[in-house]
Amino acid sequence: MSSVPGLQADCEELLGAFQEADTVRFERFAELWRERRFHTIFYGRIRALERNKLTKKTLELAQQYFLPPYAFQIRVGALYLLYGLYSTQLCQPKQKIRIALKDWPEIQRFQQDLIDSQHYDAAYIFRTLRLSRAFHFTAMPKLLNYRTKKKIQENEFKEEFKDPSNRVNSLITNDVLEELMNIHDHYQKMKCVISADKSQPDKALSLIKDEFVVTLKDITLEHQEWQQNRMKLFLNAKETDEISNKKEEGILLESEGSERANALARIKYRSYSAVVEASKSRRHRQVKLESSESGSNYGKSPNRSKKNSRRPQPARRRDSLEVK
Amino acid sequence: AAGAAPDYEAAELYTRVFRVGALGRCWRQRLGPPDLSLAAEVAAEADADVAAELGCAVETAAELRGVCSIDMLMSSDKEKDPDVIPEDSSLLTLRIRKKALEKREETIIVDRACRQETLAYEMESHAIGKRPDNPTDLVEEGELLLTLNIFYPVIFQKHKDHKPYQTVLVLGSQKLTELRDSISCVSDLQIGGEFSSQPDQAPEHISKDLYKSAFFYFEGIFYNDRRYPECRDLSRTIIEWSESHDRGYGNLQSVKMEDYTFNDLSLKIGFPYLFCHQGNCEHIIIITDIRLIHHDDCLDRKLYPLLIKKHWLCTRKCFVCKMYTARWVTNKDSLAPEDPCFFCDVCFRMLHYDVEGNKLGEFLAYPYVDPGIFN
Repeated sequence: MSSVPGLQADCEELLGAFQEADTVRFERFAELWRERRFHTIFYGRIRALERNKLTKKTLELAQQYFLPPYAFQIRVGALYLLYGLYSTQLCQPKQKIRIALKDWPEIQRFQQDLIDSQHYDAAYIFRTLRLSRAFHFTAMPKLLNYRTKKKIQENEFKEEFKDPSNRVNSLITNDVLEELMNIHDHYQKMKCVISADKSQPDKALSLIKDEFVVTLKDITLEHQEWQQNRMKLFLNAKETDEISNKKEEGILLESEGSERANALARIKYRSYSAVVEASKSRRHRQVKLESSESGSNYGKSPNRSKKNSRRPQPARRRDSLEVK
Repeated sequence: AAGAAPDYEAAELYTRVFRVGALGRCWRQRLGPPDLSLAAEVAAEADADVAAELGCAVETAAELRGVCSIDMLMSSDKEKDPDVIPEDSSLLTLRIRKKALEKREETIIVDRACRQETLAYEMESHAIGKRPDNPTDLVEEGELLLTLNIFYPVIFQKHKDHKPYQTVLVLGSQKLTELRDSISCVSDLQIGGEFSSQPDQAPEHISKDLYKSAFFYFEGIFYNDRRYPECRDLSRTIIEWSESHDRGYGNLQSVKMEDYTFNDLSLKIGFPYLFCHQGNCEHIIIITDIRLIHHDDCLDRKLYPLLIKKHWLCTRKCFVCKMYTARWVTNKDSLAPEDPCFFCDVCFRMLHYDVEGNKLGEFLAYPYVDPGIFN
């Protein structure tokens, strides 16, 4: 379905303002909503058939912000937004909010989080929506009619709204580290058993770094810190530079740590901003802006990175992690 | 029994295979009576119940009712008329919409719904919320509602890229045969035969009565209509072809359509399947949505399968009077300016037969059923 012109901008503006208000209180959201007179978003001389379609698309757009990977605050904002749009819509009977089976467990968890954290207003609102039967419980989030020819809309949702992508953390969890530690200990013990000197493994059996698990943990922590800094930097840079091009953003995000690195990166961005776009026929060979800063250790195997791990360098490595 | 929830096999296009009935069970397991209820009205909640569920004090619950009320979202009274877009809106959506409306006002003379729009709206909404007189006809709570797009067989060249379709709603507990009977296709009404010599004797039997066989194809299984003795297994040819060499189609099966309900099927949402009748009239079918029934849906079983959308086809008019829908088509007609040429019944007889009913000139005449007949 084609989108409602202007709607994404308006929703993101409201959610952005809510994020900036740094709260999850409905009272605050309602203030922002009233300021913008958001309920008028359905206004205009529209006949019933068109109005049904419009309202469906509106709810569909707002609903997308309600699920991961969006940050907690954005998701609460999306819940309030859905509540507002559902309640103030002009359709009779009301258009519903679609929830797919695969998303329901996540939504349940979210509701439980709200209750546990005593965000009573948010929990109350979700409950209200549910009790007034505002949901359609569906198999899939959208209707699917095999539209291969129609261009699938790439909805570039704002980076700021998303939780920093936690792939590293979700892979290397505490449990995984603990397990690795256990296996590592066991391995060391096995090596001792078959060695001449029972108190330590033979030199010939020394194939990996002994502190590899500890190093892995350190790297993971550094990555997390780096991500948080990156987010902060991105937000700062956005205010000053009005970044819209993702490529440029990529360059900027690479700098972190010291102020000097920041300044360097900004200068580089400016000087590289005159990159000429390849003609349409050669789009696939778009000029790539390579970072001149030295490669990082993130892409390299742990046993080689220990020495440099204290001075992490930004990276644009796409190699997979090598493990010997 | 919980299986994995349906998910995309091809991103944003179609899902993996899953059992329809299992989806219904999964949802019903995860939801409570208030979610599934089809009652027209629900009672308002007591603060004590709210407090109990949220784990807060009763006073807090009362406060929540005020703080979270819808009134908090309405601003001053000056915007009461939904037809009027506020002058100084900060919303981009409204600014764009206003421009579009103003542009329309400049170019359109009369701004009202055309008959196609009226029909489309009527079809979409006429059954909403309908409840049957007889309570046994009431749809059950937790019933599944499937939305199907049934495409017209390609008749016109202009439909090559955007094939027109009908949209039908069916219930999970309905048999496949109920859907089959509800599909109205113009090929069912065809009358075979050449009747230039005996125009008054067009036979009573239409193709629908003569050729009763049909099948649905979903995920490797052909569901054949075997209710009548005249019904044949149309899928046999296909199955034999597939088995004759290793064509990579796996095990194709043939079963009886009347033995299966939609809940029994395994299928993918968004994936094209097939309905075939009249031997060679093929319709693509796509299931676009499956969800739980809701109290605002049509709750009268007898109205399902429910047609909610169909393509408007312009009927071909008589070449002579240009007023009535064509009922005859002629070939090699010495009296007609085109080949083929379409006539309504009156004009056909007036041109081709004299007062006594004798055939004038040379021609072949066939009864014609226009695809737009279902408008």
